[in-house]
Amino acid sequence: MPATKSRAAASDRLVSASSFQIDVPETTLARARRGDLRALEQIYRAFERPAYSLALRLLGNVENAREVVHDAMLHLLERIGQFRGDAPFWGWLRQIVVNEALMKLRRERGIAFEELPEDDGTPSAEPAPWMLADVAHLESALARLPPLTRSVLWLYHVEEYTHQEIAEMTGKSVSFSKSQVMRGSSRLRDLLDPALSELHEEAAPCLTATA
Amino acid sequence: MSDRDRMTSAPSLADALRALPQAAPQPDLWPDLAQALAARRRRPWRRYALPAALAAGIAMLALAPLSTTTLPPAVPTQTAATTKADTPPTADAELAALHQRSQALERWIASATVAPLDSRDLMAAVEVEDMIGLVDVQLGATRGDADALPLWRQRVTLLEDLATIRANRYAIAAN
Repeated sequence: MPATKSRAAASDRLVSASSFQIDVPETTLARARRGDLRALEQIYRAFERPAYSLALRLLGNVENAREVVHDAMLHLLERIGQFRGDAPFWGWLRQIVVNEALMKLRRERGIAFEELPEDDGTPSAEPAPWMLADVAHLESALARLPPLTRSVLWLYHVEEYTHQEIAEMTGKSVSFSKSQVMRGSSRLRDLLDPALSELHEEAAPCLTATA
Repeated sequence: MSDRDRMTSAPSLADALRALPQAAPQPDLWPDLAQALAARRRRPWRRYALPAALAAGIAMLALAPLSTTTLPPAVPTQTAATTKADTPPTADAELAALHQRSQALERWIASATVAPLDSRDLMAAVEVEDMIGLVDVQLGATRGDADALPLWRQRVTLLEDLATIRANRYAIAAN
């Protein structure tokens, strides 16, 4: 897809915040609390795409993402009778999905640091490459980031968690979260830059998932 | 990077990432989920059947004094007043303290439910809450403070367990 078309299509889908921010009608919640299977399905259908997409972005693996969404949804729907409505429903579900995904990431992959050159932070006159990239290239570049770097980048930029929250969820420090956002952005920029992408074919990742 | 920086330094990256298409799990997860939900509703019959049976028993015991001819010998028939007289003063004090502690814990737990729990804690919490429900049913059947005291001790212990679960919402991530 040409870049201009992809950008136009992208702008149509732009949202101001997390796609999780869906309000569930109180009547649907009330029916779900009573165990109405159709209401439970309505809730599942409302959140299946944001939940699965989030899990997929964090884990980078279709089967693992399916498993996380299945487990998170099952726990949530079983406990829906105890939802008191004093916090947004979507926030409750999103937190469960994030926790499940991070747990899986931690369980299945040891995370080890490798050195990556510091981002020099120099502003460029050129437009950011992700503004020009089509969806396929951006997807591909994102997939090439190390899992934890990609997760931190996604949680920060898309889900709008703070560095403090990300630090607590990942068991790392605030500065770790900040550095991952900066280095991940820089790495993404390089991966999307045609002039640099060939060089990065041989480059080591900033974080490596070890078996 | 502060939240203000988030808005100024790389807003286009956030927009570009948000604009990526969403996906749905394939094949559809709902049939499995519906089956699992239905199975779990059937399986833990004891969770609901036991309290229900106890509640039914309580109702029968409450009516028993009206027909003493059919009352089994083991059924307690003493009044609350006589039980009160049999209860040592120290037990009264302990019971009052347990009531107070129980109320404080319940208030704390109610305020802590804003924080989302992870799935493992959710599972643990539901088990503890069920046990508290069972204790409450039993408390409804007691005829005096002497019977109630061990149950109130158990209730406070369970509430403390629940409070611990609520307080540890980030424990897994921190491990």
